[in-house]
This record gives sequence, C-alpha cells and structure tokens, in this order.
Amino acid sequence: MFSYTSRSVIGVSKHLRVPVPFRSLSSPTQPTPPEQEKTPAQDPTPTPTPVAPAKAAPVAPTPAAASAATPAATPAATAPASTTPVASTEAEQITKPSVKEWSERLGAFGEESRLPRSVQAIYLRPLRRKAEYGLPVCDLQLRSYSVRNVEFFTDFAIRAAYYLNLPVSGPVPLPRIVERWTVPRSNFVHKKSQENFERITLRRLVQIKDGNPQAVQTWLAFLRKHAFYGVGMKANIWEHDSLDASKAMDASVAEVEEALRPELAQFGQRKDNSAPGTIFDTLNSERFGERKGL
Amino acid sequence: MTKMAGLFRPKKLDLSGFVNTRLIRDNNKRMAFEQTEPERQALRYMIRNTSLSARVRAQAQLQLSQMHAYTRPTQIKNRCVASGTARSVFRDFRINRYQFRMQALAGELPGVRKASW
Repeated sequence: MFSYTSRSVIGVSKHLRVPVPFRSLSSPTQPTPPEQEKTPAQDPTPTPTPVAPAKAAPVAPTPAAASAATPAATPAATAPASTTPVASTEAEQITKPSVKEWSERLGAFGEESRLPRSVQAIYLRPLRRKAEYGLPVCDLQLRSYSVRNVEFFTDFAIRAAYYLNLPVSGPVPLPRIVERWTVPRSNFVHKKSQENFERITLRRLVQIKDGNPQAVQTWLAFLRKHAFYGVGMKANIWEHDSLDASKAMDASVAEVEEALRPELAQFGQRKDNSAPGTIFDTLNSERFGERKGL
Repeated sequence: MTKMAGLFRPKKLDLSGFVNTRLIRDNNKRMAFEQTEPERQALRYMIRNTSLSARVRAQAQLQLSQMHAYTRPTQIKNRCVASGTARSVFRDFRINRYQFRMQALAGELPGVRKASW
C-alpha cells in the first residue's frame, strides 16, 4: 500500500522531468520540488539550474540578459509548477490521469502485477527434483556445433524433466570433439600453401536418476518432438528389474514363442528352391561347374 | 567380361545430383556387389573349408574367379558426389578436397570453419 503511493509520487516527479530536466535532476527527492519552483521566480541571480538557458542567450552574459533569459525559462517551469500542487493531493492524482506515460506504465507493470510463476521460472535457474536413491536411469547426450543451441536445449530438457517429476543431475560438459582437416589451397604443385579447417562438436550430458521408466520415455519423446535445430540427441536407458527376473522370463516364454512363430516358420530351405537331393549333389553336378549367368 | 557390364546397368538412371559416367559405373559396381555378396561369401566359405573334398573346393575357386569383375568389392572406389573425382575424397563428407574447401568457405558444411591455433 505504502509502496504504491510513494511510487505514484515519484511518478509525478518523473512527469515534471520532461519540461524542466535540470531541476528535477538536481532534486530527485520528493519534498524539494515546491521549494525549487519558487527559486527562479524570486531571485533573478543565475543559480546553477538556469545556467543552461543563459548559455543559449547571446555571448555576453550581462545580468539583464540573464534576467531576460530566466523569464523565458519560467513559462515552461510554471506550467508543471501549477500541476504539482494539484498532484500533492493524492485523491485527485489517482482519478485524473487516465493514460500514463510509457516509463510509468512499464514501472507499474513490474510493481502491481506479476507474471505467472511458470513464466517467471524461465528467467531463473531451472528447478530440480531431488533424487532419493541416485540410481541412474537414463543418460542423454546432446551434441551440437554451436554453444548457444546446445546450452538452450539442455536447459529446456532439464526444465521438461522437472515438470515430469524426474530428478536430473545437471548438464555435464563433456570434452569437445575437435576434427581438423588440412587441404592444399590449390593444385598439387602448390602443396606449400595449405588451409586448415575444423569442426568442434560440443557435448552435454544430462542424467536422469531413479525416474519412472515410462516418465523417462515420455521425456525423451517430448524432447524428440520439440527437437531443436542443430542439436543431436543420444540416450542410453537402463531398466532395472526385480530379483525374480528369471521367473518373469519363464512366464513369458509362451508369449515369446508365439511371437516368434512366423519368423521361425521361415527358417530352413526355400520351397521354390526345388533342387532334388542334397547340396553335395548340386555341387557335384556338371551344370554347377559351368559358368553362371552373372 | 566387358560385354557383361551392361547387365548391371539399371534401365533407368537411379542417381541424382552430380552424374558422371564414372560415377554411374561405380554405382553399378556397388549394386552388383550387393546382389552377389551371399553367393561370393558361400563360394569363399567352400574354398576355405578343408572338410570339403578337393574337387568341390577347386570348383568353387573356379566359379569365384569366373564371376564378373563388377561383383568384386575391390572394384568399389569412393568418389566425390559433387564432382565425381576419385582422389582425396573425404569419408566424412563424401567430397574431395577441393569441393570441401569451396563448400567450407561458403559455409555449406555445418560446423566447419577455418581453424587457427
């Protein structure tokens, strides 16, 4: 409440600043302006503030010229001076200005309203879940030739992991891969003049710890869907099973056999290969020794 | 041998981009090798298999040597896809050193820039 009112008062002084820049600069605090309004009217002596209009006047700064210069400055000064006493009563001040100035509106935007928390979070460091057991589940490696892209997408991946409730251990900058090529600039004869080229691959490692495997899959699918240009991804996923894995495997044998049946049916000699006898009969035959089509 | 080379040539040109007689020929060789690879491997296996009779192995040797030259993997040579040159072709980009330099300077190869250290 208090902060809001003080803000509005400062806003008035900002309003003043436009016609009389020097004065408001000399007195940024609130109580001084009413005193300062009086000073140019009362004493015609050149105070530090009206120096600038005096400079604008002819070369010889006589007291008369200085006094002539100050009244010229006063009309500009009097207009805001008339507004400030009105502004001092706050009730009128709030009702009067329907459209405020740009700076004022922007300042008020930060004060009065705030962005949604999720949008605010974008400007802050990415949030993280805490890993309970620290068991690695997925290693995601991001590669790119540009730092910006890989940094941006790593950040994106970490934020996405937070909202999927996956604990992440931060981006690990892996060693860069530097490839270099040297080529002659010209023909074979001019081998002495060569040129070097290089390609540096930047890598970042993001590790997911004790996350739900389905959530990890969802995370990876989300990253693939929103893949960023110039950034490659490679994921290693580890699945952990209970100690009764063999029992589960035994139970699933029938299922696997059923799935493999069409494949196993293909195993063996081809039906259309209707050569009688064994392979050795074929090999020993005269026809086989002859040259084939190909 | 050479009269058989037409066998491996497709009826319709199945290459795009820069096309050259030598590029087409190399492509034909690659196709021929791909088609006859199992046969070649079977014959090679027979030749090396000491449990087979000497006659069978000799026949296999003969047959392998009688296969067309285009079916040999050694016939395949990497060529520049941008100019067809066969010399100093980079595996990473499949273009030769001159094309590499031109394209790198033009910024057409992602991530490649002039190095100085």
